[in-house]
Amino acid sequence: MKSVLLLLGISGTTPFLSGCWDRIEITDLAIVTAAAIDKNDNDQIELSVQVFIPSSISSGGGGQGGGSSQGGGAVTTLVRYEKGSNISDALSKLQSKLPRKVFWGHCKIFVFGEKLAKEGIREQLDFLLRHPQPREKANVYVSKGKAKPILESLPPLENYSGEVLRELSDLHIGMLVTMQDLDEMLTGIPQAAALPFVKILPPEKGQTKLQGIPYIAGTAVFKKDKMTGMMTEKETRGLLWLRDEVESYTVTIKPKGVKGEISLSPVSAKVKIIPQIINEKWRLSVKVITDGAVIQNGTNLNLSNPKSLNAAERAYQKDIEKRIKMAFLNTQHKKADILGLGKDFYRKYPKQFNKVDNHWDEIFAEMEVEVDVAAHIRRQGYINKPAGLSEEEVKDK
Amino acid sequence: MIRNVGRLLKKTKEKKSSVQNNYQDSKPADALDANFSLNVETLRSVYDNCSDVMFRSFLLFGKTRAMLIYIAGLSDIEAIEQYVLSPLMQESSKEPQPLNEFIEHKMPVPKVVKVNMLADCIESISTGNPILLYEGESDGFSLGLSKWEKRAIEEPMAEGGVRGSREGFIESLEVNTSQLRRIIKSPALKIQSMKIGTYTRTNVSIAYIDGLADKTLIEEITTRLERIKIDGILESEYIEEMIEDNPYSPFPQIMTTERPDVACSCLLEGRAVILVEGTPFTLIAPISFFSLIQSQEDYAQRFLAGTFIRWLRYFFMGLSLLLPSLYVAILTFHHEAVPTALLLSSAASREAVPFPAIVEALAMEITFEALREAGVRLPKQVGSAVSIVGALVIGQASVQAGLVSAPMVIVVAITGIASFMMPRYIAGIAFRMLRFPMMLLAGTLGLLGIMMGIIAIVIHLCSLRSFGVPYLTPLAPLKGQELKDVLWRAPWWKMDTRPRLTGDSNVYRQSSEQGPNPKRGSETE
Repeated sequence: MKSVLLLLGISGTTPFLSGCWDRIEITDLAIVTAAAIDKNDNDQIELSVQVFIPSSISSGGGGQGGGSSQGGGAVTTLVRYEKGSNISDALSKLQSKLPRKVFWGHCKIFVFGEKLAKEGIREQLDFLLRHPQPREKANVYVSKGKAKPILESLPPLENYSGEVLRELSDLHIGMLVTMQDLDEMLTGIPQAAALPFVKILPPEKGQTKLQGIPYIAGTAVFKKDKMTGMMTEKETRGLLWLRDEVESYTVTIKPKGVKGEISLSPVSAKVKIIPQIINEKWRLSVKVITDGAVIQNGTNLNLSNPKSLNAAERAYQKDIEKRIKMAFLNTQHKKADILGLGKDFYRKYPKQFNKVDNHWDEIFAEMEVEVDVAAHIRRQGYINKPAGLSEEEVKDK
Repeated sequence: MIRNVGRLLKKTKEKKSSVQNNYQDSKPADALDANFSLNVETLRSVYDNCSDVMFRSFLLFGKTRAMLIYIAGLSDIEAIEQYVLSPLMQESSKEPQPLNEFIEHKMPVPKVVKVNMLADCIESISTGNPILLYEGESDGFSLGLSKWEKRAIEEPMAEGGVRGSREGFIESLEVNTSQLRRIIKSPALKIQSMKIGTYTRTNVSIAYIDGLADKTLIEEITTRLERIKIDGILESEYIEEMIEDNPYSPFPQIMTTERPDVACSCLLEGRAVILVEGTPFTLIAPISFFSLIQSQEDYAQRFLAGTFIRWLRYFFMGLSLLLPSLYVAILTFHHEAVPTALLLSSAASREAVPFPAIVEALAMEITFEALREAGVRLPKQVGSAVSIVGALVIGQASVQAGLVSAPMVIVVAITGIASFMMPRYIAGIAFRMLRFPMMLLAGTLGLLGIMMGIIAIVIHLCSLRSFGVPYLTPLAPLKGQELKDVLWRAPWWKMDTRPRLTGDSNVYRQSSEQGPNPKRGSETE
């Protein structure tokens, strides 16, 4: 009796308690799917948010009966923007233009404009990290030029442009940096960070102006919290090798002495970065073990022949070595330790590192690197010999 | 003010106790008289205005005045004619001496009992056993010739199954006990009887297996049954509510079944079965919470299938309690806790809905409960009308009208299915009722509220007992041996021990190490 009364009592009185203070119906939320932060010429922050419009994909509901849009350029989001001295100021002004409460919980994309990135993102990053709603797992990008157009673009394939960026990042073709990663990179000793750099793919002929989609076109390199340089797509690949984040892309090589190219896709790659101090000289040894699968063979090499295979493997090895070296030289050139090598050195040589940590950038820039690649081609695909060649044309020996 | 309330409470308490005192078990305590005509007169006055009571007067062997009293429809008329009246009315034959010896030992009637109290006479007549009185004898004779119309044994309606016995209990106590006896042939199966109810004088039997059931348990059940003073028992629920440990709990502490095989499996586990005349639902005690989630079919199919279905049931038991409240909590408090795509599509579906999620959920759940109740109570001929209207109105029309979102309909439907997955209807109802306070908690406090609700329910379950057996055994208190029938359904060759209820009785139910293997029967390792 008592327990039942207690139960009824609890459930009966709870509505009158202040328990519902943070209760908010989903229909009163402005669900932010992506946000862009720009700086205009008056040194003001421009915050743009991409807000999902729920009625745009409602099907059946509201008596319209199955009028669901196929996402083909239909507007599912709206972009509002507002100026302010910082994000929170802009946000409070923005809220007055939005009838629903801004909800950051599902915002997985934050894009910084190029100008803001060059002048420093720390101040704005503090808001994103401090506020309880934005996720630390959200991806962070830097855009070429202003960031707002990226939110405004209406991708034909996905529901909204934020989703395009997220899906592209998940393919691991470019860098994938979450807010937490960025925070760690900036607070670490090297104080350098890399963020994916996004551009807008111009729309095809016949498509409306807004139908261009954002894509990842390289890497923005940050020193402290300021963007100092760029890496091209190709250099980014090398960077991914160094960061051991290689996934699903194609290496095209040109073996010596034969015409044509072979394309490989790395099946597995193990990258080991070994910091060394030899004779007071700081150097880095990178060991890579990778297996590849042949996906196209444009040469006349028969890859089931060990000799030809060797030649191809050697070319594969060279190519990867070149990529890695190029990326590394690039970062050295920018004096930005975006690989977080400082941390690796600190772990192995804490005493030596502590002596140099105030001029670590210079040591990093002068560091020698030795790349040791063991590349193998383990899978040749369904066919051994090149397709479309007669027996005689295939070079067997 | 508070004092006044206290006084009022006291007053009602006093009133209650006075009501209790007013109750009297009006049973005539007189003995039968030596005078035949006086006895007949008394009985006639007792059965005044009872047109169904027959007083057949005749002459024993053409000399002695005699009277046969029975109730039309309760006694076997043919047998009375053939084995009682015709031999006793033979005028030609010599009257055997002594007469009572003849009646007791030489009449071809299955059971003859001498009765000398008026109350016993009435009892005997009411149960369909004719009473024979004759001049010069102060005792009456109760002839065991009762016979009345009853339903045939049919498949149990509320506990179906694919495999297993298809027999169900019926309303007749004798048939029910015979069904138990047909399965358990050992004389260790004891069946004790008593009568409860001033007016109904309902037969209630306690069945148990001597040596398996704890003696004190049987004593406790008997004393609790004897405490019942009521005018009538029409269903076993009357008894269940009067002998439960915690009468205010939504969870039943006594299991009901209408399957003889379930009753027998419980008997074999050392539980007691209470059978009540007039209802096919027998009571089983003591039980644990998990008994309510086990179905007889778990044991009648391969143990892997049984285990799988048991886990499915556990999962859906949780859903039936929590799904609507989780949905409400996430939609009103924890928007970030679901994947983005899911949130966006549910936001889209809720866009046109005019109610807050909690109101929507409550309305839909209540409608569903109403629909279910209407479906149960409705005459079969109009049953389809309810399902059509229900499916159209709460399924389609409400979504199309934009009053309810489609995900909510799905949630309600899954919850409905989940609550019907409980093999015991009464246990399902407990969860269905608790769903509503849980939804209120979810709508006001979110997941925190749900957690509070769960904690309250678990604490309550922990505090329950069924005839001294903790309700959550074997999980709390933990009994590793018995988890074999809770976490999974162990194969039969591993079910070596009985669940330990109260007392220490016969522990092993079979010899161990009976696991079959491909060796031939006679080979041993």
